[in-house]
Parts: sequence; C-alpha cells; structure tokens
Amino acid sequence: MTGASFHAALAAASVGAAGCSQKDAVWESGKLRLYRYRPIARPTGGVPLLIVYALVNRPYMLDLQQDRSLIRGLLAQGVDVYLIDWGYPDGADRLTTLADYIDDYLAGCVNQILKARRLSALNLLGVCQGGVLSLCFSALHPRSVRNLITMVTPVDFHTPADLLSKWVSKIDIAAWVNNGNVSGDALNQLFLSLMPFRLTQQKYMHLLAASPDRAHIENFLRVEQWIFDSPDQAGAAFREFVTWFYQENRLVQNCVVIGGRKIDLRALRLPMLNLIGKRDHLVPPDASLALQRLVGSADYTALEFDLGHIGMYISARAQREVPAAIAKWLAPR
Amino acid sequence: MDHDLWRQWQELASLWAPANPDSQARFGHEGAFGLGSFMDAAERFTAAARSFLDGAANASAPAAGEAARAFSDFLREQFADFRLPWSSGIGAGAGHGAPPSMGDSPAFGATREHQQRWQRMAEASRRIDDAQRRLQRLWSDALREAAATFAARLVPQHSSGVSAEALRKLYDTWIDCAEEAYARVAHGEAFCNALAEYVNASSQWRRELQASIEHLAKLLDLPTRSEINTLTQRLKSVEELLRAAQNKRKPQVAASRTRPARRKAKQ
Repeated sequence: MTGASFHAALAAASVGAAGCSQKDAVWESGKLRLYRYRPIARPTGGVPLLIVYALVNRPYMLDLQQDRSLIRGLLAQGVDVYLIDWGYPDGADRLTTLADYIDDYLAGCVNQILKARRLSALNLLGVCQGGVLSLCFSALHPRSVRNLITMVTPVDFHTPADLLSKWVSKIDIAAWVNNGNVSGDALNQLFLSLMPFRLTQQKYMHLLAASPDRAHIENFLRVEQWIFDSPDQAGAAFREFVTWFYQENRLVQNCVVIGGRKIDLRALRLPMLNLIGKRDHLVPPDASLALQRLVGSADYTALEFDLGHIGMYISARAQREVPAAIAKWLAPR
Repeated sequence: MDHDLWRQWQELASLWAPANPDSQARFGHEGAFGLGSFMDAAERFTAAARSFLDGAANASAPAAGEAARAFSDFLREQFADFRLPWSSGIGAGAGHGAPPSMGDSPAFGATREHQQRWQRMAEASRRIDDAQRRLQRLWSDALREAAATFAARLVPQHSSGVSAEALRKLYDTWIDCAEEAYARVAHGEAFCNALAEYVNASSQWRRELQASIEHLAKLLDLPTRSEINTLTQRLKSVEELLRAAQNKRKPQVAASRTRPARRKAKQ
C-alpha cells in the first residue's frame, strides 16, 4: 500500500465510538445518565451489576465494538448490567466535589436501581478511578452493596512504579486548579508523557506499517477517539482526588473523609474481587494489590491478568477471560 | 546483505512514502501534527536505516560499531527537539507574551499594585523558562543514554546476520531503548522537581494574568470569573439545601429482598 492509498483508507474509515450494545437511560441527574443494558442472553436472575467508570475518559471504552466489549461479555454471561455515564462537566460544575459524586450522583444511581428492582443491595464494579469511588461508597453505604469488584483500581498511590504519583507530588494542585476545571486535553498530555515514544510515535508507525485492512484502521481509530475524548474534570473533585489520594495517600493512611464521614476500609466486610493488569503502566499492580491488606473482608479474591491498562478492557484476551471471571466469581455470591 | 530484506524494507517504506508529488503536497500542508509528519519521520528513518545496514553489512566489528553509533546518533538528533506532551498541555499558554520587564526596582507610587503584578508575572515567566531548560536537559540525557544502549544492542544483532524481521524491528528496538532511558530519568527527583516547578510557575503566571484581566473587566463593568464563581457557589448551596429538604420528605424505599425473586418455570 502506498502512502496515498493509506491516506485514502484513513479518510474512508468510518468510526462511531459511542458504544455498541443496546441500552436504555433509566435515570438522570444533571449531566449524569444511568443506563441499563438490554439482555442478550438468558438472565441469571442474580443481583444487578452497576458499573462505575472513572471520571477521566468516557465509559464507552467498556462497550467499544461487538468483539471488544466487556459489557457485552457480561451480558453474554447473563449479568444484568447498569452503567453510569458521568457526562462532560463544564464551568458550572467546577465546584462539584467528590462528596457530590459519591454521596449524591453515585448514591442516586444505586437508590434508583434498588428502588426499581425492590432490592436492598446490588453489585458494584468500579473501574480505575471509579473503583476508588466505589470503595468510598461501599464504606459509606455497606448495606447497599452486596459484592464489590474493583478493576485496575489504585489504592496505594505511593508504590515505586507509580510515575504519576511522583510527578504530582510537588505540584501545587490548588494553584493548578485555581477554582476552575482541569482541561481533559491537559490530562491527556500528561498521560501521553508517561510513555511518549510509544504513545506519540510508535503506535502510529505501527499503523502505517500494518495491513491496510479497513476494519483494522477503524478499530485503531475507535480506540484513538476514546483516548482523546477526555472530559474536563470538575475542579473541586479533581483537586480533592489528586491531593487526598495521589499526594497524601489517604486510603492507605486510613484518613479519607467524604462529606464529613470517615472512609474506613477496614470496616469493609463484603465479598471483594480485585482485577489487576500485570502490565498496567497507569495503575501499577502493586497499587491495586495493596487493597487486600487494607480491607476487612474475609472473602477477598485478586485476579491478575497479563495485560495493560487499556488491554484490560479491549484486548482479545480480556474478552475471553475477564467477563467470565467476573460471572464465575459472582455466581455463588 | 540479504536482498529479500531490502525488498521487504522498501515495501514497508513505500507505505510511508507518498506515491506522487501531489500526495506529498497534500500531506505537506498538514504541518507538524498530521499524517505528513509521520510520513516524513518514516522516510528519514528509512534512509538512516539503509545507511546503517550498508555500513554494517560484511563490515569489520569496529566499522559495524561505528555504523551503529552513527545510526543511534541520528535517532538521538531526531528526537532532540521533540516537545514532550506535557509542555503543550499542563502549562498551555503560560509564559508566552510575557509582560515587559519592569526591572527589579521596588514598585512605588499610584501604580504600585499593578507594577508588582507585572513583576510577579515576569518572575513566573522566568521560572517557566528555567524549568523548561532543566527538563530539556534531562530529555537530552535520556536520549544520549538511549542512543548508547541502542548502539550496543545493534552490534551483536547485525554481526550475526540479519533476519527478515530485523530491519522492521530496528525501529521498535530504538523505541524500547528510548522508553527505558526516559523512564529512568522521569522517575528521578530532578525530573519531578523540574516538572513541578514548570507547572507551579505556569499556575502563578496564569493567576497573575487572570487578576490583570479581572481588573480591566471591572473597569469596564464586565462580569468576572470571580463573580461567576461566587454565584455558582451560592447556587450550589441552595441546591444542597433543597436536596436535603427533599430527602427529608421522601420516605425511604423499603427494600424487601436482597436477591430478585426467581422466575417460576413456565408450566
């Protein structure tokens, strides 16, 4: 293939990355939408699973395309899946705090599901930063959560391999935020700087050198679109998250306070499944593995996959292994 | 030299090279960030790799080593002026258009406050430049280390014969060396300190600029960010009070079960 034909193939590629599975909005609050996915297999009849994605980046990464969808994998296992879409914060959301996200938005979603399904507790799956939010919520509302699953979730933010943590350790976060929102683009640049040669050069060269297959190009562009579809971060919540967790490592220090109430992970007794990417450059495995020594649960399982951060969502191996592992773990619980 | 290897490499390179001058022109106008920049980089790499393999093939060990060093030096040069993503993201815009220097003389008189603000901006701008220089030096150190490692890895690989895959892997080997060297630098205290200084100085520069703009906005009776923030805070407080009142009125949902009822089997 010549450069010109590659250019043509690139121009011809059509990409729509808003998720591939059918879902219905069942509740909304401000910019937040709560979705329930339509089943594609015989439901197991188990407790519904609410997926809490990170505030950084968009949740459709979990349902990118038919053959790369954690959500589709869970639906195929008969799991009843709900998902929170936090939306795109704007200037009016700059004062939104972690307490608002956890005790208002997330709690609102949980209450809505429990009310609609007439249940007292559901299952939570927190992804990356969403895992931290889920841990805090579970600690505040232990009776509302039956089982907690954390996926590529940082808990100990001061492990030796955590480059982000080292970088932000001496940054004046309050001055950076300055009562405004934090640009999603700026955060993207920060993430790219973690591995600049691979993330800004090599992957594009690989694409140029690879097969001109249209599906391959579209897959690449779909992931690319997701990577750079980065919502701005509500300033207050961002300041709290970076200061409390990255700089002060408060989960490990056992001194997180949300809305005036202490988060005591040791009081968490519910069954917990911790999913870890062994090659995760954003959330080093040790940062996630620390969870076991911090919680009081006697029913704790950690599963490590030989995958990177994004690979945990979209790699072929993840499609085969992760949803099945979650369904298998949930089944007897 | 393995001619099949050259043919494969040329095919690979043809992916990166525009087929005709028209397409070159089309890519060219995309500037430093479009497809064209990657095409250009690939072409340069192709030429340098060709030169390296010519020099290394059937050469004595010292000559092969020299070719490897020349190739690694070329790669180091290619990335020497590369602007790390953080420099365009975190402190975007900061330091550019620095205010005219007011010298180090003490601020005095009716414009004292303004003069002090401009002096603080100038100082922040100076700190940004200094931090950028420190980061660029560290970047250069990483590239030097990467080039040395790359050269060391190349020599034994090519003196023992080149496989068809080897040429294509040259680029990946360079990337591996570069990332490893960069990681060592990026984890270091000097890099963290310089990055923090860059961000903190950028924050100060922006804060002073905002203050200047707010001052002008007030003179023109235009709304300022501070005023909007105050209103947002008041609105948020009202919303919280309203929500608390609503929650008090609402009866708590009486959940009846911890699991959904099992469906009865169809008769």
